Amino acid sequence: MKRFMTTAAIAAVTFLIAAGISFAGGQKEPGAAPSTGPVKFTFWHLDTATNQKAYWQGLADAYMKAHPNVSIEITVLENEAFKSKVATLMQSGSPPDLFRSWGGGVMDEYAKAGLLRDITKFVKGTAWGKTMAPGVIAVYSYDGKQYGMPYDMGAVTFWYNKELLAKAGYTSFPTTWSDFLTMVTKLKTTGVTPISIAEGDKWPGMFWWAYLAMRIGGKPAFDNVLSGQGKFTDPPFVQAGQKLVDLTKLGSFEEGFLGANQGAGAALVGNGKAAMELMGQWGPTTEAQNAVNKKGIGDLLGTAPFPVVEGGAGAGTDVLGGGNGYAVGKNAPDAAVDFLRFVTDEKNNATLAATGTIVPTAIGADSGLQDPLMKMVKGIVDKAGYFQLYLDQYYTPAVGSAINDNVQQIFAGTMTPAQAAAAIQQTYEMNQ
Amino acid sequence: MAYESSIVLSRTVKKRRRATLFTLLLLIGPAFIVFTLFVIVPVLQAAEYSLFRWNGLGPLTHFYGLRNFGFLLRDIIFQKALLHNMLIIVFSLLVELPLALLLAMIVGRGKFKLAVFFRTFFFLPFVLSEVITGVLWQFIYNPQYGLINSIISFFSPGNPGIAPLGSPTGVFWAILIVIIWKYFGLHMTIYIAGLQGIPVELEEAARIDGASNAQVIRHIVLPLLATTIQITVFFSIIGSFQIFDIVWAMGRGDPVNGAETMVTYLYKFGFQRFNMGYGSSVAVAIFVICLVFSIVYQRLLLREQRG
Amino acid sequence: MTTSVESARSRIVGATFKYAVSLIVTLIVAIPLYISVSGGFKTLGQLQAQPLNLPMPFVASQYTELLAGKVGSFWRDLGNSTLVAALTVALDLVLCAAAAFALARIRFRLSGLIYNYFLIGLLFPLAVAILPLYLQLRNLGLVNGYWGVVLPQVAFQVPWNIVLLRGFFKSIPRDLEDATAIDGYGPIGFFYFMVLPLSTPILATAGILALVASWNNFFLPLLVFNDSSKFTLPMGVMDFMGQHGASWNQILAFLTLAMIPAVILFILAQKYIVAGLTSGAVKG
Repeated sequence: MKRFMTTAAIAAVTFLIAAGISFAGGQKEPGAAPSTGPVKFTFWHLDTATNQKAYWQGLADAYMKAHPNVSIEITVLENEAFKSKVATLMQSGSPPDLFRSWGGGVMDEYAKAGLLRDITKFVKGTAWGKTMAPGVIAVYSYDGKQYGMPYDMGAVTFWYNKELLAKAGYTSFPTTWSDFLTMVTKLKTTGVTPISIAEGDKWPGMFWWAYLAMRIGGKPAFDNVLSGQGKFTDPPFVQAGQKLVDLTKLGSFEEGFLGANQGAGAALVGNGKAAMELMGQWGPTTEAQNAVNKKGIGDLLGTAPFPVVEGGAGAGTDVLGGGNGYAVGKNAPDAAVDFLRFVTDEKNNATLAATGTIVPTAIGADSGLQDPLMKMVKGIVDKAGYFQLYLDQYYTPAVGSAINDNVQQIFAGTMTPAQAAAAIQQTYEMNQ
Repeated sequence: MAYESSIVLSRTVKKRRRATLFTLLLLIGPAFIVFTLFVIVPVLQAAEYSLFRWNGLGPLTHFYGLRNFGFLLRDIIFQKALLHNMLIIVFSLLVELPLALLLAMIVGRGKFKLAVFFRTFFFLPFVLSEVITGVLWQFIYNPQYGLINSIISFFSPGNPGIAPLGSPTGVFWAILIVIIWKYFGLHMTIYIAGLQGIPVELEEAARIDGASNAQVIRHIVLPLLATTIQITVFFSIIGSFQIFDIVWAMGRGDPVNGAETMVTYLYKFGFQRFNMGYGSSVAVAIFVICLVFSIVYQRLLLREQRG
Repeated sequence: MTTSVESARSRIVGATFKYAVSLIVTLIVAIPLYISVSGGFKTLGQLQAQPLNLPMPFVASQYTELLAGKVGSFWRDLGNSTLVAALTVALDLVLCAAAAFALARIRFRLSGLIYNYFLIGLLFPLAVAILPLYLQLRNLGLVNGYWGVVLPQVAFQVPWNIVLLRGFFKSIPRDLEDATAIDGYGPIGFFYFMVLPLSTPILATAGILALVASWNNFFLPLLVFNDSSKFTLPMGVMDFMGQHGASWNQILAFLTLAMIPAVILFILAQKYIVAGLTSGAVKG
């Protein structure tokens, strides 16, 4: 406790000096007493839903109660506003102390520019570092150094309506791509929208392309691009695009899918109008939020992994996924890092897991997982030999945007799979 | 008497001129400072950034010369965006402004009952924020149960309907309709103001001489309205080059850049892709286009007035 | 010479045409607004099935919850929007009236140059200068403060207001100025005692245009305000949409409430707008 107080005091003084230099008169700090100096840090997240907002506020309040000299200033913004706001702050050189991050390429850009605080010493070889699987922690590291920590890491899976599938004659979800296509055709004959894709947001479509490329080319396809031995114009990526064309031609998607956003897409499933969506672990939550009955389809919901592509090099256990975590800004005081540890510890992680909105990262926190579907997702994550972070987070922002944009073109039919792949490769090379 | 007062006048005139420098600084200074600090300086900095390849983080290190501009001119998506801006201008000039003028002539003058009500009401959409307008029309265009699709399914049940904002080709026209809806009232109001400046006697005199309505409009109203029309044309064109909020609120220019404009392009390919140097070059390009247009426009007007 | 019967007929045709066109346009303007207002009173089910019908059952809870502050942040956003707009308009009018007056009535060599300098601002939208502007605000310590939004808004309004006001000020007769000069007032006295009182309509116009611009501004407050307690109405709308996804009846209720202040203000002020534009500024 004493060591913590000294650290906090040093952090407070350092923070004040840093604040004084980088913000001309912006921060209002009470005079810092030498040993128990007040510490303030900022905490940014994007969970605008009332109960989730309350959860984070509750955590902050609990921490502040236990550490009376700490003051946590929370900023909540909705998704798109959050992304542009954080981007601006980064570009102006003054990052928030703790902010929601998905790791990967975007976080790497910030780390490369020296905007994040290196917290390796708090994580490597410490008790904190042992609370999660190494692969999961690695998502928030760059170049061997740690810049944040996750509290949620899940997989993208199918979320489907068991009743609607049964009406088409399916009691279990297909495990191969050709079976899957057959099912889609049968679903169409029953008059329901087979797949809700919400491609207006672009990243849902990217999920499909990524999984198909993973199933066809496996991990080597992606490794080759990184090493330069391969390109996005290689067969696995182009064939993945071709399968998307096939899927679109079947009329699998909802009316106006190219302009639909995630909320609208989730509403279709939640209202029982669409048979399935390929979505991350937040799928059930958004479906419930946006459904007319505010509850979604309840027991009728099932989850299943992405089917295998016959003859493909990828394994059915390969997972595309991601989660949520917080990155640490370069000016963050030690108290902020400690709060992050508090957020990700087993007890709090389990509490959040119990709400069924996340797949917890802390080992042992899955005891808090009550939802059987979420347990299934966690099982899928645990079994993954190859875990691929969402492509638009994994690569740099420019390449990520290029992937999202060009995959949308494939769905719209305005580019062939080969053209889209070439455009992505071109952006990739330009940003090397 | 006249001689004495004119001496007094010239003396006070001289006294007025001497106080001028301090007066000028006092009067113009504050506006000048605020304007320079928050408009001109950032604009000049944007010009500086446009010469670099910069992701916005850290110092400016990678000098790029004019290469950003080279990419810009060759990018088909930027060309598409520019085309969209041009189309917005064309339709504003061919549809929106004439409509506004017509309405101004209907409700802007004389003995038309409820004219004042109509005038006020037509101006309303302009007052609403772009965000509110964009969200509202998203609902109207909703493919599942928006107004448009409800009407379609009313007349032809079972028809899957349309999805304007989800169509790569349709989204532009859907947004153009909203732009016209929102701004026609502004132009109409300006025309009404201009019309009220035309002396009624001129029109009455022409009518007594036997002129028909159409002739009155062509030979009296329009010429006297010329300056007003020139002004609305100018602002309409400049505004069309800079259009952003409403396009952004209705799908950010997508799907597949179907409604992309130069400023949405700037945001997406500059800002969001961490390509601040490139984004700044788009900003400079927009500025140059507007500047060239202004100069050409003014020259054209001056030449017309002389001729 | 037209007979009275023919001219009567053409008058009726003319009148019918005018009323028909006006009615159609009124419907086109009114229907979206009606949908927003009525949609807020419907259940989500009815909204999805019958957007045009009157609300049945009539559900007031969406509106009452918003007004009571139980859902969303309407009053907080309204307060912030009002504060920012009031500061913007006040500062804007003071600065621009002064500068426009000087440019219109005082003859000095740089007058034309300075006027054109201000005009350049017309060619730049805010979106374009946003990053360097943000850095500027940070260096001046204005981020997350109301002045960080007010000052740039005033700055970007300057060109428009100067054009508008200068045109009007130029049209004030010289005799008035000479009259005050004889009474011993310099230009500032003329400005304060004579010009300002005469300019109420045009100042009202300029003020209202500045008010509308400030009220509806979205991106600048988004970038400047970190603290959600300072959010303005457009930010509140987007935030609400993000929270309530496909609950369109709630969203429409919020939209309607957000529209009301602007509409009320407009109805009260609209006679000034027309009067102001008539008074010669537009003839430019």
